[in-house]
Amino acid sequence: MIIAIGLLLVVLALLGAPLFAVIAASAMSGFSREGIDLSVMAIEFFGIAETPVLVAIPLFTFAGFLLSEGGAPGRLVRLSQALLGWLPGGLAMISLAACALFTAFTGASGVTIVALGALLFPALVQAGYSERFSLGLVTASGSLGLLFAPSLPLILYGVVAEAPIDDLFIAGILPGMLMLVLLSLYGYWLNRKSRAAREAGSVREVLAAIREARWELPLPIVVLGGIYSGYFAVSEAAAVTVFYVAIVEFVILREVPWRSAARIVRDSMVLVGAIVFILGMSLASTNYLIDVGVPQRMFEIISEHVSGPGMFLAALLVFLLVLGAILDIFSAIVLVVPLVLPVALQFGIHPIHLGIVFLAAMELGYLTPPVGLNLFISSYRFERDIVSVYWATLPFLLVLMLCVVIIAYVPELSLFLLG
Amino acid sequence: MEPASRHPWLVRAENLGRGLENALLIVLFGGLSTLAFAQIVLRNVFSIGLPWADGIIRLAVLWLAVVAAIAASRDGKHIAINLAERLLPDRLRRPVEALMDLFTAAVAALLAWHSWSFVRDSRAFEDVLLGTWPAWIFQSILPIGFALVCYRYVLRFVAQLRAGR
Repeated sequence: MIIAIGLLLVVLALLGAPLFAVIAASAMSGFSREGIDLSVMAIEFFGIAETPVLVAIPLFTFAGFLLSEGGAPGRLVRLSQALLGWLPGGLAMISLAACALFTAFTGASGVTIVALGALLFPALVQAGYSERFSLGLVTASGSLGLLFAPSLPLILYGVVAEAPIDDLFIAGILPGMLMLVLLSLYGYWLNRKSRAAREAGSVREVLAAIREARWELPLPIVVLGGIYSGYFAVSEAAAVTVFYVAIVEFVILREVPWRSAARIVRDSMVLVGAIVFILGMSLASTNYLIDVGVPQRMFEIISEHVSGPGMFLAALLVFLLVLGAILDIFSAIVLVVPLVLPVALQFGIHPIHLGIVFLAAMELGYLTPPVGLNLFISSYRFERDIVSVYWATLPFLLVLMLCVVIIAYVPELSLFLLG
Repeated sequence: MEPASRHPWLVRAENLGRGLENALLIVLFGGLSTLAFAQIVLRNVFSIGLPWADGIIRLAVLWLAVVAAIAASRDGKHIAINLAERLLPDRLRRPVEALMDLFTAAVAALLAWHSWSFVRDSRAFEDVLLGTWPAWIFQSILPIGFALVCYRYVLRFVAQLRAGR
């Protein structure tokens, strides 16, 4: 009976039922089997109002939506081009760096491909990079930067795992850099002999680009500097970001008209509502699963087949790759982390390291056929059929896979900066 | 896909509802970001702490999320695995979607019903929040929110049936 209900719910989820409903249904069927009154669902959901850092999620989401609305993407591209355009493979590197920074600030909603990729793809092709390489690059860059502060998935992992978010922000730096560096090297190696144009570096252009971006430039410094130095708590940094971005976009640059404010609030909050609704339901379902001892049983079953943390990590990576291909990163964090975390702890894996591995592996999910989100956004945005996007992205996916394996098996990469 | 296109008063209700959602979202979001920002300024510049602010902000996040989830139901933007949408043959897509809408409406109805009893109990026990405020006032967003999500999915279900005929 339990198995039948479980299977039914999985089928419903695969057929496209909203995940909050599927999770709520699974929790309710569990609680009612245990004879617990179902008002427990409301009690658990209300726990949202007792979660302190959660406020950072609506704040950062709004700021990200607002940023991508104005001219910030264009200025970011111009500035990085002025700084790095003279390098061989420079434009490829620019794309990677700019996308990573942009994704960190806008969360993982696919907005990077739409806002930045749309500028970078034609620029790359025009500069002489092959279309296939360019398409793969912008698609892969769309989720790069998830490991850098203040990305939403990092915050959400901290909330769900009850891990210090400042530590996660610091832990993500080196693994995120590793991804950037390896992808850049790949771009460089592939294009070392190509005629891809190099812009001669010009001090004047750099200064002009800096001048143009002078209002956005302080933002990463204030936010990241504030968080990393411990001056701001995460939710404070989020509030500062909202005010700063709102004043720059609405008042100083006036790139975004006031009347768009309502639409931007609605669009960004709809995403927040969708995430938090799933979080609320899974607070209930997680509690049920822990009550009936699922993590403990999982650990027992796993440790029969798996000996030691190394093998556990391998199994985890395979699991996360499959998971990432079907489930979006937010639902995956909220649903899976509470179950995996206690098991991982018993295998001696550091919770912060687990978080970085989890997010890095889920980042691949955006690029994994058949249903990776970035693949579809890219195919839609650049009007290429989905199969050619698969092929174009594949080499980048392989490079990123290598990164994830390194991140998983070299915990120092995540933990070194934490001391 | 607009279910209400045939009845002028339903169209008006739809517009009113959307306007109300937007107004609430703006008030809640504007309020909580202003309060969060004011808190920082007051603490760092004037060394004044607002002990009640954190509690209010957290409740505002809950309200914001529920109102936003109602809006997401209207816009069809709840997170789902869109595998079937891409793999199912065209003629199966609509009936499957209708079935999913019905399932979601049923779950939301159950949630609304049980949150209602949660709020009723909380009122009977005279639970308080933020010092002396009756907790049920803040909790009442749950049954209201789930009921509206349910209503939304019933509308979607009806629209699917109509379009399928």
